[in-house]
Amino acid sequence: QTEVKCTALLIKTKDGYHVDDHKLSKEELETKYGTNIITGLSSARAAELLAQHGPNSLTPPKETPEIIKFLKQMVGGFSILLWIGAILCWIAYGIQYSHDQSSSLDNVYLGSVLALVVILTGVFAYYQEAKSTNIMSSFQKMIPQQALVIRDSEKKTIPADQLVVGDIVEIKGGDQVPADVRLLSTQGCKVDNSSVTGESEPQARSCEFTHESPLETKNIAFFSTTCLEGTATAMVINTGDRTIIGQIASLASRVEDSKTPIAIEIEHFVHIVAGVAVSIGIIFFIIAVSMKYYVLDSIIFLIGIIVANVPEGLLATVTVTLSLTAKRMAKKNCLVKNLEAVETLGSTSIICSDKTGTLTQNRMTVAHLWFDHQIFVADTSENHSNQVFDQSSATWASLSKIITLCNRAEFRPGQESVPIMKKIVVGDASETALLKFSEVMLGNVMDIRKRNRKVAEIPFNSTNKFQLSIHETEDPDDKRFLMVMKGAPERILEKCSTIMVNGQEQPLDRSTAEAFHTAYMELGGIGERVLGFCHLYLPTDEFPETYSFDVETMNFPTSNFCFVGLLSMIDPPRSTVPDAVTKCRSAGIKVIMVTGDHPITAKAIAKSVGIISANSETVEDIAKRLNLPVEQVNKQDAKAAVVTGMELKDMSPEQLDEILANHSEIVFARTSPQQKLIIVEGCQRQDAVVAVTGDGVNDSPALKKADIGIAMGIAGSDAARNAADMVLLDDNFASIVTGVEEGRLIFDNLKKTIAYTLTKNIAELCPFLIYIIAGLPLPIGTITILFIDLGTDIIPSIALAYEKAESDIMNRKPRHKKKDRLVNAPLALYSYLHIGLMQALGAFITYFTVYAQHGFLPSTILNLRVEWENDNVNDLEDSYGQEWTRYQRKYLEWTGYTAFFVSIMIQQIADLIIRKTRRNSTFQQGLFRNKIVWVGIASQIIIALILSYGLGSIQALNFTMIRPQYWFVAVPHAVLIWVYDEVRKLFIRLFPGSWWDKNMYY
Amino acid sequence: MAKLGILALRWLVCFFTLASLHTGKHTQCLILLFYLVFYGFLAALFSFTMWAMLQTLNDDIPKYRDQIPSPGLMVFPKPVSALDFSFSLSDSESYQGYIDDLKKFLKPYGLEEQKNLTNCTSGAFFDQKGPEYTACQFPLALLEACSGVDDPTFGYQEGKPCILVKMNRIIGLKPQGQPRIDCIAKSESTAFLATYPANGTIDLKYFPYYGKKLHGSYLQPLVAVQLSFGSDGDAKEVMVECKIDGSPNLKTQNDRDKFLGRVAFKITMHA
Repeated sequence: QTEVKCTALLIKTKDGYHVDDHKLSKEELETKYGTNIITGLSSARAAELLAQHGPNSLTPPKETPEIIKFLKQMVGGFSILLWIGAILCWIAYGIQYSHDQSSSLDNVYLGSVLALVVILTGVFAYYQEAKSTNIMSSFQKMIPQQALVIRDSEKKTIPADQLVVGDIVEIKGGDQVPADVRLLSTQGCKVDNSSVTGESEPQARSCEFTHESPLETKNIAFFSTTCLEGTATAMVINTGDRTIIGQIASLASRVEDSKTPIAIEIEHFVHIVAGVAVSIGIIFFIIAVSMKYYVLDSIIFLIGIIVANVPEGLLATVTVTLSLTAKRMAKKNCLVKNLEAVETLGSTSIICSDKTGTLTQNRMTVAHLWFDHQIFVADTSENHSNQVFDQSSATWASLSKIITLCNRAEFRPGQESVPIMKKIVVGDASETALLKFSEVMLGNVMDIRKRNRKVAEIPFNSTNKFQLSIHETEDPDDKRFLMVMKGAPERILEKCSTIMVNGQEQPLDRSTAEAFHTAYMELGGIGERVLGFCHLYLPTDEFPETYSFDVETMNFPTSNFCFVGLLSMIDPPRSTVPDAVTKCRSAGIKVIMVTGDHPITAKAIAKSVGIISANSETVEDIAKRLNLPVEQVNKQDAKAAVVTGMELKDMSPEQLDEILANHSEIVFARTSPQQKLIIVEGCQRQDAVVAVTGDGVNDSPALKKADIGIAMGIAGSDAARNAADMVLLDDNFASIVTGVEEGRLIFDNLKKTIAYTLTKNIAELCPFLIYIIAGLPLPIGTITILFIDLGTDIIPSIALAYEKAESDIMNRKPRHKKKDRLVNAPLALYSYLHIGLMQALGAFITYFTVYAQHGFLPSTILNLRVEWENDNVNDLEDSYGQEWTRYQRKYLEWTGYTAFFVSIMIQQIADLIIRKTRRNSTFQQGLFRNKIVWVGIASQIIIALILSYGLGSIQALNFTMIRPQYWFVAVPHAVLIWVYDEVRKLFIRLFPGSWWDKNMYY
Repeated sequence: MAKLGILALRWLVCFFTLASLHTGKHTQCLILLFYLVFYGFLAALFSFTMWAMLQTLNDDIPKYRDQIPSPGLMVFPKPVSALDFSFSLSDSESYQGYIDDLKKFLKPYGLEEQKNLTNCTSGAFFDQKGPEYTACQFPLALLEACSGVDDPTFGYQEGKPCILVKMNRIIGLKPQGQPRIDCIAKSESTAFLATYPANGTIDLKYFPYYGKKLHGSYLQPLVAVQLSFGSDGDAKEVMVECKIDGSPNLKTQNDRDKFLGRVAFKITMHA
């Protein structure tokens, strides 16, 4: 439902962009906006308009108020249960007080402790969340954009957010268009509209009204698009949120934040535990009442049962665990904005990735050369270090000279120490590629250019499709001029009559021309941008040293050149990407490329990084191979698919679903950012957990819609980063894969943490049940339970987050959102009914030992509860005839609490060790590999020692100094737990798929 | 034994291979069977451990007595709630319960019952080596007016109620010095307080106690407190505080334990 709504909204946004300014004449515009094209607005009027419409910037999405975030932490998870517990405590005291004014404050303490627990864990979780959000604020402050505006007849540079409707602005190549503008006068102006329409080809812009739709007409330029070249004067017609980009961005805030998978899992878990707690609580409340206990007592039992059942510390532990992983991921260049996104990445089953910058290096690089009838491969790795092609040919010498000379790009000065590939270049993408290539190949290009002084030049333009320059040669004896030319291969070939082979000029015959075409098609077919190179030495008799070249009249020959070679460029894949894609594949993650680029280029890159594997074909490929029309090919046969934005536009959701379901390797080319949203929705309909990368403002709805939106740290816009859950600091696809690995590991380790934490609940719960049913003196107090849950157990459960993966987690399928739950039946049953029960028995043995050795044999304490707890019975007889005062009994009871507590703690050590692995033996995993686990064990023991021997005298805490031997009563049970779990794991490994495996593997 | 082990192992392996072949209904049975075996084992283990633990205990004296180093004091009869005795002089029903309670409590002290007990030497511990342990006589006559012999209503009818104070039994306890129970009355109206035996003395011959099993016939020494209100009619209320005196090893001061070596109770008499 919401999915459909979302896309519909997006389309409406575009349709709803009602602007008719493109139809108006300049004069009409002037009157409409009360401005003057020559003098601009007056400052006073501008200030007035600014106050009226607000600044020209996108409103950042509304933040949830801090207090709401804080309160959410206070009532989320188990907090409600604990609040109920606390309130019941206070009510119980109120009832007691109304009966007896001197009644003990125990219940008030307990209630306060419970409230304190909720508040502390809430504050802690809030702090953790806030800390991870703070990371983002470092991004928020970008250098403010400037705009050149005419106001009061003066040109002024002002911050772009001060622009108002009616302002006259000047835009030149390289600027970002500061608002939605109507162009008034242009000179060779081209814009890159990819962020709005998805077309990556530069779009020419002029003042003429060419199309009814404001999105298509040439005389309107949009906010945040880039002016690539030329200059323009324009009038601002829309600012801020009223621009088309602003409207799309505000759509992102309307896309509802769906719950993260881990949030769903934790909610599921909380429901299970709360359900168990409440139902056991109520059952025993009823039992207690029907056993003629006072209602007040029954309420106190209820509180005890709730406290015993709720793992108070667990949610805080989960937060810590997630933030630990977030920290680890930040080191690997994945900055997580929302802690829960850590795990979402792990359950990702589809990644929709951008191409440029994410999969590729985002810079044109020379990939192939063709000369001497041969194709040579150039190194396209990040540092170009390994150029291996044959450079001995004389043709190469000529070609390299043309590459070097016929190039207007230059290094920005002052970068001597910077490696060549990292130097900043002034010039367009292809020229930059050529400059860097020649610098790597030949050394100091500037020096070569100086030695071959340029005397004339015709820069590249789209009508000529070539670039030409004339140079003096560096050989002082050779007085000829050298004319070098590069351009579109077919245009260059037209101008040639000879071709250089092995340094010798040969006439350009038919077969050579064919060889050229084959090479051209081959390189073009793999998505590379191909350039042709040729040169001509001008004879000295016609062109003496003093000859004055005139580029306007072209007083020099422009044909009969000698063809030297071809060179092709591509934005090459990042070297780490193919590996990462392979990893994704073995991890069962589908990688879908979504790009605005040409399908051929997209497919070529997809092939080179492995998104389309080497031996898979698209429907078109099969058709071509079998010589069949595309319609006759069975679509099921094709593993791969390349879908263009145009095709996508006409597709029904069902057709898209079919494509997504039937093809494992999909590339979407020439898509607009809006279509990304449609693709994401399609993937989510397949029940996939979708990760989406994006950088533009226009990507923000898709980023928000995706289960995990990944914004680019380098290329990303603020809006994208706001909408995303995660920021890739290095824009590198491979970093996503490391993130996936961490996410999967944390899911596994959270299982272990939860299993560890749940286990002792039974050992904490049984005392209450036995106490109610069999009337034994209470084996463990509520406060003591809190000391386990929030004391001894905390560090060990965090320690499990440091556990290494048991097997290669990147070799299994992503978890199924609905089937592979965090807390599943085997986990709960094994924790509660196996290990938990064993722990309870172990602790009860200690309990009975303590009572028996002090004089109360098991037979005596049975049903002793009423007398035991009666404050007026101060001569209660034990099994040996001795008589005990109430306080003496209480002290013994506390000794029992302490011993029970220590027993649980000792058995939790065994529990911690067995939870290190779920399938492998702990010995295979390495007992000592995770040092933090041992820190956890040490912390347990130390905390217990302090509580028993350090705080023994603090009455409110109910701890006493117990005899050292009581520490060891439960040790055999701890060993038994370890052995039992090893046997369980052994059978799981021996009999995979058996009922044992199914019921015992969690 | 080894043969049995191999047999069991083979059976187990069969069990698992069978289980891995069949699914569905069989699995349910297997799970049930498994829990049966598993819980049976746990129950057996628990029982055995408990049994073994109980074997290590001594039947005669508890292993540790450090949690009751010093005895508490307690009074008889036991009021319904708190230590607040309240009765009406004119209404015999209001104190009948106390009288019954006292009678019941003093039953083992009857002459007939004490017949077989030893008449021990006063003023010294009655140390015994066993194997037969015998108890010292505590003649009811020591309680004088509160013995119930002369006045079967224990003074309640006359407005002179008797309360018995006793020291909790603790195995092996040997009070130092000359222990006595010292009671004082705190009230606005003057009430006369008498203790029997005179001075509230507790004779050392009743110590040490050897435990229920060895020392079954043991009678613990008692001290009676009698309050004389006089019969002038008004409602009277008096707080009585008793504590052990004269024995340095019997503690009487503990902020938390209000009954350690002391006891306080209130008597309210209505007309």
